[in-house]
Amino acid sequence: MKMLLRPISFKFVIAAVAVVFLLVFFVGPVLRVFSASLYDSAGTTLTFANYTHVLSNRFFLDALRNSLIIAAAAFVFTILIGVPFAFFVARFPVSGKPALLALAVLPLVLPSFVSAYALVLMFGRAGVVTSELRNLGIPFGSIYGTKGIITTYVLTLYPYVLLPTMAAFKSIDMSVEEAAQNLGASSLRTFRTVTLPIVLPSILAGALLVFIEAIENFGVPFVLAEDKPILAVETFKLFAGETATNPASAGVLGMLLIVCTTIALLVQRNVLARRHYATSAKRPPPLLPVGPCMRCLASVYCWTITAAALVPFVGVVIISFLKFNGPVLHYQFSLDNFAQLLERSYRPLANTLFLSTVAAILATMIGVPIGYLLVRQPSRLTALLDIVATAPFAVAGTVLGIGLVLTFNSGFLILTGTWVIMVIAYAVRKLPFSVRSSVGIMHQIEGNLEEASINLGVPPFSTFLRITIPLILSGIVGGLVLSFVTTASELSSTIVLYSGPWTTMTMAMFQALEGTSAGEATAAATILIVFTVLPVALVYRLLRRYELSTL
Amino acid sequence: MTSITIEQAARTFGSVRAVDGVSIAIRDAEFFTLLGPSGCGKTTLLRMVAGFCDLDSGRVLFGDKRIDTLPPHQRNTGMVFQNYAIFPHLRVGDNVAYGLKARNVPADARADRIARALKLIQLEGHEGRWPHQLSGGQLQRVAIARAIVIEPNVLLLDEPLSNLDAKLRIEMRGEIRRLQKTLGITVIYVTHDQDEALSMSDRIAVMRSGRVEQIGAPAAIYQTPATPFVAKFVGATNLLEGTVASRSGDVVDVTIAGGNLRVRSTTAQVDQRIEISLRPEAIRLLAPGDAVPAGWATLSGTLNGVEYLGAVTRLYVRLADGAPPLQLTVSVAPADSGEIRVAYDPASAAVWTAGQ
Repeated sequence: MKMLLRPISFKFVIAAVAVVFLLVFFVGPVLRVFSASLYDSAGTTLTFANYTHVLSNRFFLDALRNSLIIAAAAFVFTILIGVPFAFFVARFPVSGKPALLALAVLPLVLPSFVSAYALVLMFGRAGVVTSELRNLGIPFGSIYGTKGIITTYVLTLYPYVLLPTMAAFKSIDMSVEEAAQNLGASSLRTFRTVTLPIVLPSILAGALLVFIEAIENFGVPFVLAEDKPILAVETFKLFAGETATNPASAGVLGMLLIVCTTIALLVQRNVLARRHYATSAKRPPPLLPVGPCMRCLASVYCWTITAAALVPFVGVVIISFLKFNGPVLHYQFSLDNFAQLLERSYRPLANTLFLSTVAAILATMIGVPIGYLLVRQPSRLTALLDIVATAPFAVAGTVLGIGLVLTFNSGFLILTGTWVIMVIAYAVRKLPFSVRSSVGIMHQIEGNLEEASINLGVPPFSTFLRITIPLILSGIVGGLVLSFVTTASELSSTIVLYSGPWTTMTMAMFQALEGTSAGEATAAATILIVFTVLPVALVYRLLRRYELSTL
Repeated sequence: MTSITIEQAARTFGSVRAVDGVSIAIRDAEFFTLLGPSGCGKTTLLRMVAGFCDLDSGRVLFGDKRIDTLPPHQRNTGMVFQNYAIFPHLRVGDNVAYGLKARNVPADARADRIARALKLIQLEGHEGRWPHQLSGGQLQRVAIARAIVIEPNVLLLDEPLSNLDAKLRIEMRGEIRRLQKTLGITVIYVTHDQDEALSMSDRIAVMRSGRVEQIGAPAAIYQTPATPFVAKFVGATNLLEGTVASRSGDVVDVTIAGGNLRVRSTTAQVDQRIEISLRPEAIRLLAPGDAVPAGWATLSGTLNGVEYLGAVTRLYVRLADGAPPLQLTVSVAPADSGEIRVAYDPASAAVWTAGQ
């Protein structure tokens, strides 16, 4: 019996720890939100009244519709922008390609609500650009509402389409296209009938992630929606409303959010499963010989999009070094904004660094072994683990936050108001990325390296430490840094879970922009940007190997 | 030094019986080859011995010690993988040292054994090299050194030569065989390459669909194949099916697609369907006026095709009445392409009841 147990023990322990963690801190809280949606306001009677109430309410239906329209638009526009970009970078001699790629992925890790806030600062009612235009007598439409939200999503989320599509364009074996042309297809026909169908699953998989992100994102609509109802925002408002909290209705909206994102995630998994034929190229396609005119057009196109996505961030950084007089901006260099922000307390900065570090380590420690199992020991158990570990991606941060509060504000384990509950929320939210990235890394290592080690007499766990870990270390570090920077700018669960002493940089920024201290908000945004770009720049080489595009 | 007994080993993957009740007894210091097409279960069987594949039923023993219940790292088998599986983050010396460290061999003894192992595979002094600095053939040697340096009970080789180019492959065959004899170690060698199997092995097990078709010495496998599958898989052959028309003594006449073939069989009965394997080199081309050896059968037909293969030439002969063309190998191709006559010893054909 002892003999039979041994080979499964290592696998079993990892799976058990991960499953328990996810059951307690993810599945449980989500179910708690679900059950909240099924009880009346007294919390005693089981009822569907909340659903009928919400679903017959024009306002909430509008919220659902707006969210879906915005997400669909983001889906379409990121494809329209990202696919040509990907094709040019993969096949054309675009100028300054390494720098272009480095900058093009940045929006993925930069906080998108900062970009939204930059739009407001520049093109809002009292925006820098708007006022200048107004002074010149040129009228400027509103950027609030659907238009601004979609613009921000497209500019910040297009790398989700760009990265996998680019990888797919590069990984087509050249002989496939050659075969098409040999059989008489023109280059255009080859592209339409061979190349595009092969990369299509990658395009769709990326765009569906855009769709999910666009539905569950909280910060961007919070900044830009004004009075337009948006599902993720209304969920939060119902739960933590200034007038009366309504966990039941919040639960219903939360369930609507989860249903939308889950469907998209299931479709995405399904699309990805069909990506088998885009296997790695024996002979990757060479750059196309194009004339200087085409080359110039392609370069301008790629650089314009990259720049457009980064301009808001650069704008915020510049503005943060200008002098504010209340909400009024003066074109004069000053560090006042930073002084004011940090004068009150360094605590938010320290909190962000501390929370992000702990959460990133936790997500990595759970995610890497899961990724290892998924690749090396595929079974029904790990398939289930895969689903559970990927699912947090489909749950909006606000909903997870609400679930955690509902679950851990009473009972034997009270965590609300502590930093622990924030770290847990972050770790759960980053877990899908951590798992996906380690799956990506594991696929790059030949499986029988571990078998060779075991065969030479080293037990499985020691083999994992001595062979697997050193080989995937750069990938782990890359993933760790990504988890760190994306946690640092995490907003949607933070806004539900934070408490006074555990105010983060993102919350400091939000409080500032909700009030009138635009200067402090930009200073906080700049600090967030620095703490995102700096670590990413430091480990950029590691990150490239580890493929941002694996999810 | 170990004998290996595999008793009724079985493993099912989904609905596929990858290994279907295989029993093999491998002698101490024997070079034993598992030969078969891809998907026949030979690699699964090897991985059962290594411990990377659990048995649904059956047992594996080294000597009289049962090992299929042991975890793989306690079995003391040295395995050489198809793609070498050299640790890319360790130098050659550390790769070879890896198993010794796991066995807590003291540093000085370790260095000594590594040096000896590297010398054995003619890579002495390469301890400090990185794997990416080595060629495919050198990586292959390091993989072998790493496996033998731990003095394993048994050396397991999983298609170790399939990633090498043709010339190096033939060179390595001899080298692996020489090494095995020097060390006197038991080897299980997995391959789909019949030439490799025939040239290196003491004995071969030919596998098909998870079962063993035949176990025997290379010559026995080639000359007296137990089944039509073995005859076809090992070496080229003419595989024909026909009905026994008549018997005279030990010899039967067989009708094949209207033609007539004479083979030796003590068991085939008149009107029975039988399968016949006649090796190309067992058929002799008769020049006009050549005498037919006593007891041999003759056939005549027209030359249907000629393939020049260098040392020999393969001829395809269409028999007079539309039977499938017969292939034979000759050292000199006939001058004209008209009517030709061939002869063969009826005893050289292998015969089975059809549909076995």
